[in-house]
Amino acid sequence: MKKVIIVDDSIAVARQLEKIINSSDDFNVVAQGRNGAEAIKLYMQEKPDIICMDMNMPVMDGLSALRTLRQTSPDVNVVMITSLGGVSDKYAEALKLGARDVISKPFDAETVLKTLQKIA
Amino acid sequence: MAVKFFGQFLIEQGVVTHAGLLKAIGLQEETNRKIGAVVFEMGMMTQVEIAKVHQSQRNEDKRFGDKAVEMGFLTEEQLQQALLCQRNSHIYIGEALVKTGGLGKEDLEKYLIQFKENQRPYTVEKIELPIGVANQSIWEMVADLTNKMLIRVAEMSFRAGPCQIIEQLPTRTMVAEIGFSGSVSARYLLTTSQNSRKIIARAILQESDVDNESVEVLDDSVMEFINIVCGNIAAKAAQSGFQIDISPPITHNPSDCGLPVPEKHTGLMFPIYLSDGEIFELAIFINNDPA
Repeated sequence: MKKVIIVDDSIAVARQLEKIINSSDDFNVVAQGRNGAEAIKLYMQEKPDIICMDMNMPVMDGLSALRTLRQTSPDVNVVMITSLGGVSDKYAEALKLGARDVISKPFDAETVLKTLQKIA
Repeated sequence: MAVKFFGQFLIEQGVVTHAGLLKAIGLQEETNRKIGAVVFEMGMMTQVEIAKVHQSQRNEDKRFGDKAVEMGFLTEEQLQQALLCQRNSHIYIGEALVKTGGLGKEDLEKYLIQFKENQRPYTVEKIELPIGVANQSIWEMVADLTNKMLIRVAEMSFRAGPCQIIEQLPTRTMVAEIGFSGSVSARYLLTTSQNSRKIIARAILQESDVDNESVEVLDDSVMEFINIVCGNIAAKAAQSGFQIDISPPITHNPSDCGLPVPEKHTGLMFPIYLSDGEIFELAIFINNDPA
């Protein structure tokens, strides 16, 4: 079973994502963070297979965290799940920084699981 | 379902790859010049003058061309010539994909039609604003997209009231806020009544019953809802050449006298009437003096 970390400042989104991801036999949510700095810390602790991360967060945003994570761990698998997916500059920046995919909010269970299956 | 750009739509359809899209964006970045670069190449302004305009833009929220005219570096006629030159050489993502081999020329038109159909629910409709409000098209889009997301994401039935200029936002159960910066400077605020907060929470949490949820979770759901709305507003604005950066959402619990519109701001309020008689509001506090 693949280990997943969720990083989103919204409790509601994290809860919804956890429900979706844990509904699959292939994935297990092992930890949750509320900002980019927590994502980096949790990655070092848990060494997950995939990180699902928001872009617009306080303390450290998702793109800054992605940049740092890729510098230290080039093989990290990050999926950005964001309301800014439709902003072409943000979408392109996420891909350039090495995000494996970008999912726009609002999302549905099928899109989330299909994306994770593609990466796993 | 969300506001998308054409490249993102093509990836989701499985028509282009991430690598193909990045190659096309690279071509766009090489080809699509900023207006400062255009006026320099046309010999209308020097690098020193361009730097002065950029410096001045840090203190005043104005487009490069307008600022350059105001500072006497360009005439209005020169600006129009430069803008025309910029438009004529501009390459859109679809054309860039064709040129870089990411998409067949014959497929471009077909997928553009499908894309327009996909994005039809987010076509902006006319909303009347008070006369004299700057950047009217942006605030119309903000109000219209909020209404559309209330219908499509929150599955809410309501009647939208006419826009009013206010000095104070009324007291409600809670207010969620996101800051806009970039092409415009403003505060986006959504008040909620007890019932509208529950409707939004049900949609965001995808639960049929939220009666036992804590206030923290209910408020968080409203913050996430406005985060989704404002992200889609930023995407829609980008399609019209406006860059809107959004801050993470916060909440207010206003005092009994409500939330005052700060000095040097214009307060626009759009009342929203639920069928059960409850009222809540979208408000925009536009900063008229971003310096």
